[in-house]
Amino acid sequence: MRAARTLYGWAGLVLAVVAALAGPAHAAPSLEYAVKAAYLTKFIPFITWPARSFESPSSPVTVCLVGDDPFGGVLDAAARSARVGGRPINVRHLALPDAGCQMVFLSASDPELADEALEALKGKPVVTVTDSGMRPHGIISFVIDANHVRFDIDDAEAGREGISISSKLLDLAHAVRARGKP
Amino acid sequence: MTGGGGGRRQAIRGALLGILLASSGLAGPVRAQPFQQLASAADLQNLSIEQLADVEITSVSKSAQPLISAAAAAYVISHDDIARSGAVSLPQMLRLAPNLEVMQTSPSAWNITARGFNGNSAAQNFPNKLLVLIDGRSVYTPLYSGVYWDMPDVPAANIERIEVISGPGGTLWGANAVNGVINVITRKAADTPGGLLTLGAGTGYYSAALQYGGALDEDLHYRVYGQDFYQRAFNAASGKDAHDGWTRPQGGFQLDWTPGDEVVSLHGDAFGGTEAQAGGLANQQISGANLTLNWTHPLEENSALQFLTYFDQTRRAMAGGGAFTLNTYDMELQHNFSLGDWNSLVWGVGQRFDQYRITSRIAPDTSLIFSPAARTLSLTDIFAEDHIALSEAVQLTLGVKLENDPWSGWAAMPSGRLSWTVADGHLVWASASRAVRAPTPFDTDVVEKLGSVTFATGNPNFEPETVTDFELGYRGQVTPDATVSVTLFDSLYDDLRTVETTPATFIPLVWGNGMKGNVHGVSIWGDWQAADWWLLSAGFTAQHLDLEFKPGASGLLGISQAGDDPHHWASLRSSMRLGEDVNLDADLRYVGALPNPKVPEYAELNARLAWQLTEKLELSLAGFNLLHGQHQEYPGSDLIRRSVMLQTQVSF
Repeated sequence: MRAARTLYGWAGLVLAVVAALAGPAHAAPSLEYAVKAAYLTKFIPFITWPARSFESPSSPVTVCLVGDDPFGGVLDAAARSARVGGRPINVRHLALPDAGCQMVFLSASDPELADEALEALKGKPVVTVTDSGMRPHGIISFVIDANHVRFDIDDAEAGREGISISSKLLDLAHAVRARGKP
Repeated sequence: MTGGGGGRRQAIRGALLGILLASSGLAGPVRAQPFQQLASAADLQNLSIEQLADVEITSVSKSAQPLISAAAAAYVISHDDIARSGAVSLPQMLRLAPNLEVMQTSPSAWNITARGFNGNSAAQNFPNKLLVLIDGRSVYTPLYSGVYWDMPDVPAANIERIEVISGPGGTLWGANAVNGVINVITRKAADTPGGLLTLGAGTGYYSAALQYGGALDEDLHYRVYGQDFYQRAFNAASGKDAHDGWTRPQGGFQLDWTPGDEVVSLHGDAFGGTEAQAGGLANQQISGANLTLNWTHPLEENSALQFLTYFDQTRRAMAGGGAFTLNTYDMELQHNFSLGDWNSLVWGVGQRFDQYRITSRIAPDTSLIFSPAARTLSLTDIFAEDHIALSEAVQLTLGVKLENDPWSGWAAMPSGRLSWTVADGHLVWASASRAVRAPTPFDTDVVEKLGSVTFATGNPNFEPETVTDFELGYRGQVTPDATVSVTLFDSLYDDLRTVETTPATFIPLVWGNGMKGNVHGVSIWGDWQAADWWLLSAGFTAQHLDLEFKPGASGLLGISQAGDDPHHWASLRSSMRLGEDVNLDADLRYVGALPNPKVPEYAELNARLAWQLTEKLELSLAGFNLLHGQHQEYPGSDLIRRSVMLQTQVSF
């Protein structure tokens, strides 16, 4: 009797072990990067690019990822399900950003590459986003504050590049370098 | 954006298992480590940008290490769930957990358990197999291992979440986590800035609460609060007034200091309570005070030290004589670190002293005496657990705790948990674990007299009650809008407490360990975001207790002395956002009949309509147990009355 009842407890263990040995593996990103990926798509509605940045009102917002992908596919999945004001979000993985990007995430994997990309994008209407712990910062830079993912905004730099960031997003930022400030 | 101005208004339960459990690491209370979680992209996409900033990430998972999913039957009651339910007391909030049995027996008394053993008052058996923690402070009483539910309380506005884990959690969580763990986590002071005034008035219930929080310095936040309520008596099972109304003022503070990466939190509460009694007896008086210090010190990248210490005093002066004072001194240290790419370890030590003095109840007819009347109990534990990433999708967690209690010495509580992410957002897990309920003064020291005759006594050789538990679970995002959790459990109990006789003379009766058996069942719950504005949640638990007396046991009072548990219960909850400022919530629950003594099955409905009049003012109307004028939830206990409550909440 008891043996029969405990059977599914053991059966479960055996099943799980067998499955574990046989099963496919899917890499999950850390929660930190899942949150950062969600942020990236959610920043977009608060940002206005110059009209010339897009070919048409329905052309996609392109988010480019430079360096190693820390998101493990989560950013691509998030972008697929998101749509901003009639525009789909398109994610590209690039060695170096090009003119087709509206937002560029610079991974911390290769600081030299990130520096190079930041320099190349100066003066272009592209929102640069740097990962936490990186220097120098992009227009948006992630920061880890007491175990929470927050972000700083360099609104002065955004202004120089013709990008306007809504005051609501600025309010939500951890720190803001305001326009007209050095 | 799902949030908008209301911020956290829209329930986000679909994401909860994923995200809120993840907040274990650095800032959580000591031993809240095991619940790092999968957070599927879809979960996080449902959060607003404000809510993203609230998601706690753990430094332990900061590296490329994949998140570990909780290989346990864990249900999370979120801050929003509590606010939207209108619940004003901890036990009421716990009704939201589908894996708990919650039974109200009087305005101030409740029986709460997981997986059976809700007690039998005729056999002097009370629920005694849960660990209940408030910010790491244990609130079950070591005198009998049960919880006096009229004593712990936390203002609803200050609760971040309640984690309810059914099944043994002894390896990591601490003593008495035999059938489950209830872990109440309060909000950080920085998360509750400004003032909040809450006034409630309803059917025999009046309450007022005031709190204020602010920053003394950039990295020093505080919160102070005070609250009181009066709740009118219910009717007793006989239908007559039970004369058991009560009032319970409480106040407290929290101080959070976060210099650099350090997190230091100091908090304390003090309360008093007066509970009227039937039959012209004197009021029962309760009071208590506690002070807790929690310090998290990050070491390097994937490593941290957590230190927790608290002092807790509770006093109770019972009607008809009998009283106790209990002082608890506790100190715990925990260290998390990574070893290579695959291992994430946590180990710790804890020492608790429970110092108590009991005043016996001496009366001509019956007396309840504890001998000795005063003791200092020492409880020591040491534990270690290793999360091993066998592959990117498979995690194995092995742990053991050694606990030394005053009566039975060292006991080992091992556990093994395996989780497998079969596909993105689909997790299968299995576990095997062991836990013990250590002897208590009620098991060993009690002497009950009828007149001058000693009728029953404790047993100095009382053995720990043990459980060996097997679980198999699935948790997943079955559609982009729906999550489901299923847990099968099978628990083998041994040495359960029974009433035995003295050879030849029959009395005194004496506690023994004469019962064993098996409890198996299933718990299922899930959420469905039916629309942007509408979340449906459902829960169901069925369990079967198959207990028997061991050879040589007296069999006195029958098997039913272990508990009078429903075979199954279910709940269905609807959370609607009707426009920007109006929320409508309804919660239907069904509890199957209690077998022996019999209590009929019942269904009840709670509902709440809340209207955010301005940014600073919310009005709500809540109704509890609306379907019947009154109903009974436990044998011999009060009839629980239908009630409504109008509440005003002003922030400033």
